[in-house]
Amino acid sequence: MSTSTERVAVVSSALSQLKPAWDTVQHIDLISETVNQALLASGFDIHDVDVVIDCGSDVLDGRSISNCGFLGQMGAHHKEESRVEEDGLFGAMYAVNKILGGGAKVALVIAYSKPSESIVENYYRTIADPFYQRPVGLNKAVAAGLLANQYLTGTDATEEELAEIAARAWTRAAANSKVSDARAYTAREILDSPVVASPLNQLSLSRPVDGAVAIVLTSETIARKLGSTPVWVTGMGSAMESQFLSEREPGRLEACEVAAGMAKRFAGGKEATSYGFAEVSATSAADEAMVVEALGLAARGKAASAYDGDVDINPSGGAIPADPIMATGLVRMHEAANRLSGRVEGSSATSALVHASGGIGMQTHSVFSLEV
Amino acid sequence: MKSVAIIGVGQTHHARRRTDVTQIGLAREAALRALEDANLTIDDIDSIVVCTGPVLFAAVNQPEKWLVDALGARMKPVVRVTSGGGTGLAGALAAVNQIRGGFAERVLVVAYDKLSEGALQYSISTLYDPFWGREFAVGIMGFSAAAWRGRMGRLGHTEEAAAMVSVKNHKNAFLNEYAHVRRDVSVEDVLNSRPLCWPIKLLDVPPISDGACAVVLSSGDIGEKSENPAWIRGMSYYSEADNAANRSTIQSEPLEIAARHVYAEAGITNPRRQVDVVEVQEPYTCFELSYYESLGLCEPGGAAALMASGATQIDGDIPVNASGGCMGANPIGATGLIRLAEVAQQVRGKAGEHQIDGAKVGLMQAGGGWANLRGVAVVSSQKG
Amino acid sequence: MTRITTGIDQAPALETSLEMPYTLTTGKAVSVFIEQLGHGVIVGSHCDNCDRTVVPAQDYCARCGGDQGATVAVEPTGVVTAITRTADGAVGLIRLDGVDADLLHVIDESAGEVAVGDRVEATFAPEPVGTILTLAGFAPSTSAVSTTAPKEIDEVADEDLAKQIIYSLSLPYRHAYGPNYGRLFDELGSRGGILGSRCPHCQNVLVPPRAYCEICYVKTEQFVEVKDTGRLQAFSVIHMEFIGQTRKPPYVYAEIVLDGASTRLIHNVAGIDMARATEVLDIGTPVRAVWKAESERNGTLDDIDYFEPIPE
Repeated sequence: MSTSTERVAVVSSALSQLKPAWDTVQHIDLISETVNQALLASGFDIHDVDVVIDCGSDVLDGRSISNCGFLGQMGAHHKEESRVEEDGLFGAMYAVNKILGGGAKVALVIAYSKPSESIVENYYRTIADPFYQRPVGLNKAVAAGLLANQYLTGTDATEEELAEIAARAWTRAAANSKVSDARAYTAREILDSPVVASPLNQLSLSRPVDGAVAIVLTSETIARKLGSTPVWVTGMGSAMESQFLSEREPGRLEACEVAAGMAKRFAGGKEATSYGFAEVSATSAADEAMVVEALGLAARGKAASAYDGDVDINPSGGAIPADPIMATGLVRMHEAANRLSGRVEGSSATSALVHASGGIGMQTHSVFSLEV
Repeated sequence: MKSVAIIGVGQTHHARRRTDVTQIGLAREAALRALEDANLTIDDIDSIVVCTGPVLFAAVNQPEKWLVDALGARMKPVVRVTSGGGTGLAGALAAVNQIRGGFAERVLVVAYDKLSEGALQYSISTLYDPFWGREFAVGIMGFSAAAWRGRMGRLGHTEEAAAMVSVKNHKNAFLNEYAHVRRDVSVEDVLNSRPLCWPIKLLDVPPISDGACAVVLSSGDIGEKSENPAWIRGMSYYSEADNAANRSTIQSEPLEIAARHVYAEAGITNPRRQVDVVEVQEPYTCFELSYYESLGLCEPGGAAALMASGATQIDGDIPVNASGGCMGANPIGATGLIRLAEVAQQVRGKAGEHQIDGAKVGLMQAGGGWANLRGVAVVSSQKG
Repeated sequence: MTRITTGIDQAPALETSLEMPYTLTTGKAVSVFIEQLGHGVIVGSHCDNCDRTVVPAQDYCARCGGDQGATVAVEPTGVVTAITRTADGAVGLIRLDGVDADLLHVIDESAGEVAVGDRVEATFAPEPVGTILTLAGFAPSTSAVSTTAPKEIDEVADEDLAKQIIYSLSLPYRHAYGPNYGRLFDELGSRGGILGSRCPHCQNVLVPPRAYCEICYVKTEQFVEVKDTGRLQAFSVIHMEFIGQTRKPPYVYAEIVLDGASTRLIHNVAGIDMARATEVLDIGTPVRAVWKAESERNGTLDDIDYFEPIPE
């Protein structure tokens, strides 16, 4: 980033299969296998890693301070380690700062979850404040439903457009070998799937899946010595909204706009529309539309048009077909780095925006810009 | 690496149970005090790091997402770092990295726990693997007691030596306006107190507390302009696989590694002589003895003698926990940050009644888990 | 602990549940809000700094972080600004008349569908329930937009306020066994064998078996059986009782290094006079597993009833 003489690069990453239920392995099995693959791809030994930042959720894991029991299988033994209890992309922010500040040269960022082991709604429900929003029944679906209703009410966007966004996401995920049990749907099929929280239905709300992702970041000096193509972090930003849906501006994601603005400043003002593609997170099709708008890829209410634009949105399929809570945003970074470094056939993009979110109704956001 | 300063510090008056304020209101009290001390408002803050214990402590998952509204921090970067008992220090380290990395100039770290709201030992027991050992867990007290029993014979960390830690810290807490346990206890009282997880007895154990602490950290430029900064001269937080092969229960390797890094960064070769004041997160008395050795205040096996010598008393040559440490108050998520805040106040000359005259260099330790997450920091009145 | 298999498509899993009791402190604004709902009054807050009235009452202004109190009574009528329907009913955002922010609450559609822009009014539970749900929700209304400004309320006497709410969390889990624990507990349950995994690099044996050596971080690959005898590495005599405890004190919390293992097993030591535990046991005391009767075993760590000292 612009504040430092050194830059930071993503030098390798690995992603487990994203499955509705990885019921044949434990968290630590998923994590260690993914970390090992990321290390193999980087050429590093675990002993080359200076710091491990991990992102997971005690509520999903069924275990307090769950990082504490996973340290050995995460490769963190006798290393600096921190748990950022947020999406893995926030962990990547930590690692970038650590390297830019001179505190580490090689960082390993891990994010994972196995929502299949718990009742996923408990994860969301317990985020809501216990006095006003939780008793009323606020959860992921209700928040997403209200945000979608506000979006449709406050703009010219239509339910059909949202269904198109979801259909496109599923179609692309069906072509993504890392996403299990995904098939292509038409907008009609999306609209005909059972309503979960109107105007959203089963196929337009993100599907929780189990998975793990690991990313290796290094300083510029080290990245240049490696054989692979370094993917440079050129900007990053973050912002958190009010928890109370009632305090938010309807129909838009203001915190995402602020986070994108911060990332853009670090990246020297490069316009969103000049990136090759974007990998964004969302808990619903309406959320994805609002993220696309907040990033500056479309005007308010016009997200649908952006999908035909120059910036490819979610070539991986995005988060709607595969939402490994706590890892979803870091998966986006993995997907982006994979494409930028030429590991995906047919991809010639040289820059990308990456987005993560957390909380109920996408309360917090992180945005990265990457370039090769 | 870039210099980082502590320019504001705030704590709540800790209590066994605060029924007048919510979890987030408690955290906010400390935040406002730290901002006032730094002569700033929330608008001046670039980024916020929140630290608390695990969700089961107080039934709120990712509580920073509730706290943001009490801080007026909407539209700022807010992130939570969790690391069990040492989370306050882990959060401060995250803030230091944000400043060194150029992400922020002024970071507010807010650490808190309102332990009166939940079932503490039950919550902590869920640290254990559900397949493997959870049913035997007594929070981490059983583990800690067992490890102490292991050190007793090998290192001479006797029940009497640990009792002296309790007496010292309880006594020092009388001088700390934020402590809520101020109790005159004797070595005999400690030894005769009810065994909880033998050899740990009631008076070896800190209170359960509601409390918060906040610290404002800044870049060097801002620190220079600040009236009375404390400078971070080194900070590290290391981990250890809890069941690694041949893991030592005798000495804490992650703490030794962290101390080695921090001392190298701070130019400390003889902590006993170069450090003026020490704050450690006991939380059980036996740990304080162990830390003396891992931090290099004495040789391995020398902790009991160091304790008996009086050197770590408030009027000794290396005072440890002049604030009373965890014995005065132990709001777990905040405790690590309180230790950092205490040494910062010492080198700023603002520690109040437990001020060590002329303190210039402070050393603090914090940690969590099965004694497998361990951090250290050195702060100084000098930028270095 | 129960090991269960539900259906042929699912791998076996360990079912656990965390049942946590809480006493949550509500703070002034919430307690006044809930108390006043009992009188059919909806209380909001006014931030002088932002000049905004919000409902429900909050101690702090979400916009500026400043102090505000539960100070104003607002009208029970308003308009729906957003709505979503789920299998559990409808939830909406309601902008009460004279208020500057929405309120999240249940929309009562029993008398017909409600749409954005519709007028609604508050309905109350027959009896106060001690939470925001004393306000049951909002139902369609023919009320005109009220022009009555929010009125300041009298200070509610402290003794009338419930400052805490009894609360609980129930969090059930189905933990996967995975290849390592699966094999470990199969062998444990079927024939009382205890498995570890050996690191090909440092040769240490990890019990329970892990996929990777936690120090070398190489794949362990090979299961090895360790003995059901070992030595006490550390122990504590547990006397304290606490909520959620699964066994009755006194008992011995023990860290045992089994013969052939390089790591520790957490279990309990019994078969001794508990009153003399601290004299009978020592660091290094050899111990052996006492297994439950085969009919009582279920393939968990519980199959070992306890460890007992081996007479020298």
